Amino acid sequence: MAWRQVRRSGLTMPVVTRRFIDHAWRRGCDFINLDLEDSVPPHLKAHARSLIKGAIPVVRKGGAEAFTRINHDYVHADLEAIVWPGLSKVNYPKAESADEIRLLDAVITRLERERGIRPGTIEIGANIETAKGVAAAYEIASASSRVREFGGGSGYDMSRDLGVEMFVGFEQFAYGKGELELVARALGLQVRAAPFVANTTGSVSDADRAFREAQAARKCGFRLGGGLNPAVVEPQNRGFTPTAEDVEDARWVLERYRELTRTPDTWKVIDGRVIDGYEAARARDTLEWATLCAERDREKAAAVLRTRTAMAEPMSPASGVMRGDA
Amino acid sequence: MAILVRRSNLLVPITDTERVNRAWRSDADAVTLDLEDGVVQTRKAEARGLVKETIALTAKGGAEVFVRVNAALLHADLDASVWPGLRGIVLPRVESAADVAEATEQTTALERRRGLDVGALELIVLLETARAVWDIRSIITASPRITQVGLDESDLAGDLGITPLPEHDPFVYARGRLVVEATAARVQPIGITYPLGIHPRRLPAAEVHRMATDARNLGMKGVLCPDPSWVAPVNDAFTPSADLVAHHKRVREVFASAVAAGTAAVPLDGRMIDVPVDEWAKFVLAMAEACDARDAQKRAAHGGS
Amino acid sequence: MSARIRRSWLVVPISKPEEIARAARSAADVIVLDLVEFVAEEDKPGARGRVEAAIRTAQAGGAEVFAQVDRELFVADLHACAWPGLTGVIVSQLESAQQVADVDGLLADLEAKRGILPGTLEIVAGLETARGNQAAYDIGRASARIWGLTLGRADLIMDLRPEPSGEIHLMPYLMQRLIAVARALGAMAIGAWWRAPARGLLAGPDDTYQAARRGRAIGFTGSPCIDVLQVEPLNRGFTPDAAEVAAAQELMTAYRAAVARGVAVVEQGDSLVDRGSVTQARALLDRAAAYAARDREKAEMGARPPLARP
Repeated sequence: MAWRQVRRSGLTMPVVTRRFIDHAWRRGCDFINLDLEDSVPPHLKAHARSLIKGAIPVVRKGGAEAFTRINHDYVHADLEAIVWPGLSKVNYPKAESADEIRLLDAVITRLERERGIRPGTIEIGANIETAKGVAAAYEIASASSRVREFGGGSGYDMSRDLGVEMFVGFEQFAYGKGELELVARALGLQVRAAPFVANTTGSVSDADRAFREAQAARKCGFRLGGGLNPAVVEPQNRGFTPTAEDVEDARWVLERYRELTRTPDTWKVIDGRVIDGYEAARARDTLEWATLCAERDREKAAAVLRTRTAMAEPMSPASGVMRGDA
Repeated sequence: MAILVRRSNLLVPITDTERVNRAWRSDADAVTLDLEDGVVQTRKAEARGLVKETIALTAKGGAEVFVRVNAALLHADLDASVWPGLRGIVLPRVESAADVAEATEQTTALERRRGLDVGALELIVLLETARAVWDIRSIITASPRITQVGLDESDLAGDLGITPLPEHDPFVYARGRLVVEATAARVQPIGITYPLGIHPRRLPAAEVHRMATDARNLGMKGVLCPDPSWVAPVNDAFTPSADLVAHHKRVREVFASAVAAGTAAVPLDGRMIDVPVDEWAKFVLAMAEACDARDAQKRAAHGGS
Repeated sequence: MSARIRRSWLVVPISKPEEIARAARSAADVIVLDLVEFVAEEDKPGARGRVEAAIRTAQAGGAEVFAQVDRELFVADLHACAWPGLTGVIVSQLESAQQVADVDGLLADLEAKRGILPGTLEIVAGLETARGNQAAYDIGRASARIWGLTLGRADLIMDLRPEPSGEIHLMPYLMQRLIAVARALGAMAIGAWWRAPARGLLAGPDDTYQAARRGRAIGFTGSPCIDVLQVEPLNRGFTPDAAEVAAAQELMTAYRAAVARGVAVVEQGDSLVDRGSVTQARALLDRAAAYAARDREKAEMGARPPLARP
């Protein structure tokens, strides 16, 4: 899998809430998802659309990518409002057919052309949130080359569609999650998945839990995070990034594997661990991911520095407080 | 669109007179008079002969009345069953859309011949092979008569070649596919949690309730009950409680005020109430209302008997 | 075609003749001569040349003989393996119906050229990639030779890793899906329900027995293994034990008595027994009898006792 964005953490926020947008760049997220959908009530949607263009550069000030979540039922109006330079991705909720995705692709293509955005830049996040979507998963995920990630299959909307309560302590969505993950892998897409961890509290702000979940997901090979509450951002960044020990360990495995290839054997057990081509591939993957994470972190740090520097001119002479930090 | 409330469907072998006579008092939403697995081969003809006169008795408590036919004796069993008062047919061993077509064709002809509303009889289909599970979409979309679909887990176990162990559910894929495909097709999936579906037992009500609740949280909308002792806990598990209703009414009130005040989300008891949470409250309240209505219907039927 | 008894599939590297001989003395139902996993790339040409003789060695103890071939190298590998005495091939990493058709066609040619009864060489389809699993149904029905489906080394090839629970991520789902597709096509599913860390190379006899038992509980009827010490646990894990046989017999007796009384639903304790349970019980008894017959047959041929406890 050659293409790999670093999207360990991200916040979905209603674009109409000014203070969220203004402070987004400080959160340390890899992406910000500007919401036009569920966190924006119907009577504010038109106003919300008018805010997106200006919000995109604001939320990117800390180096985060800018995404938008549009409304299933207002595709044309929403896309007109959101496809601007600086947007990386359009998240489309409750996708249920390939035709929907093809329509999005066509409109985005036209808008990219009209607005001077490099063709193919903007990705489509086809979010499966209903049983019908699961049933059509393969067609949906393969409907456009703008779909580069895929997975999911649980959450509020899926629960409502199936008529089930959430947070009941056992895996309720095994089939949907399995089907979506299989489709993602079969099409070579980045997989949005994680091992099942029982959650009976329904908390969306538990930092420890967020870290453990991110770590468990990373150990299974998954790297995509995101959420609603700022408290989970740093734990997700940390949980999805290989530690120094992980990197050391990966190097050890590769060394042992290099030694193995000089023998006629294809596998060996060393210190109770299997060393073979598969383990070597995983180790290489870990090192590559560690490098990508480090680069992303440097990128974000540089963006934050630039922003703080820019905000420091002009500075209030007496107080030393930077305007905008309040 | 009206919510179909059919939480408990009590399966009664039609040749078991005692059970048949008691069935109408069970408070089941539906009763299925069984001509199939509940009746020995040597008594199948006798069983057919009992259907017509048993329908009215079975409906006395307000239950819907179904008949489970034999796939191998479809023509004769349908002929014996399609009479006024019948709500529908439980069709086992459905393998293909063609099987559905055969049943609907004969049912339509009988409805016409006997002056019943053509197309009114429902079909509950039971899938018993891996093939049927794989082809479920074409099966359940083959006729608008199909309102519910379930797995016959015993026969499915045989087809999958499994020797089931209670601690390892072999139907996670099959059941999951049932729920997703049925929901997508707007047909209600029915069933209970493993291993009670494959090894039905008479258990304490609390345990049946727990398993029915888990089934509900998998997406099931009702349970085929092999024993009257299941009916009350199943009904209860599939009915929103008074507490839950009160809670969701509050959620709707609070959210409506928030919207009136111009905000998108509002905290209540430590949770954020936004559009999806309000939508869920709407759903639960609608379900509660529909259950109340059904219960009222049954009470009225009892009152009048 | 499906009634073969194939509980244990012992995979041996072609490059190690002493392992093949040892396999022939084991109680394995099937010996798999491997050209894929355990042969280094540069050794393959030499390995191919040894298959014909290896088939004869492997057959000596009464086991059936399969060869595990690389789909990408299927022309050379099938030419090397399709000799009288071979029962079939496991084809790694199949991803499309067309690939199956290609393999089927070549097997037909080789049968004709080498005096093998036409249509008898079987295929076990290795669905080891996401694409292969996604297309499982189309692959499985692409040839009448397909006897079974297997996930093979899917967990390694798809990079599926252990979850905190010990389950290998996505495998429980993939296994049940594979079994459903196999059965929908009238094919068998082979494999076992391995749990971390005891899979593949690190599975001891007890882990192997448990993996077989769990696998049987969801629909596998046999599994590949790579160590001769895993053979007996697999055979035992996939065979109904005495307690299960007794329970099934009891159930049948109770049901027959009820039917004689004109009743089709029986209460056994708090269990409600009907025709469905009885069908399962009968299938278990049939399977137990068939396995017992096969084991007696193998014992007579001089193999080690197949169900001996360690």
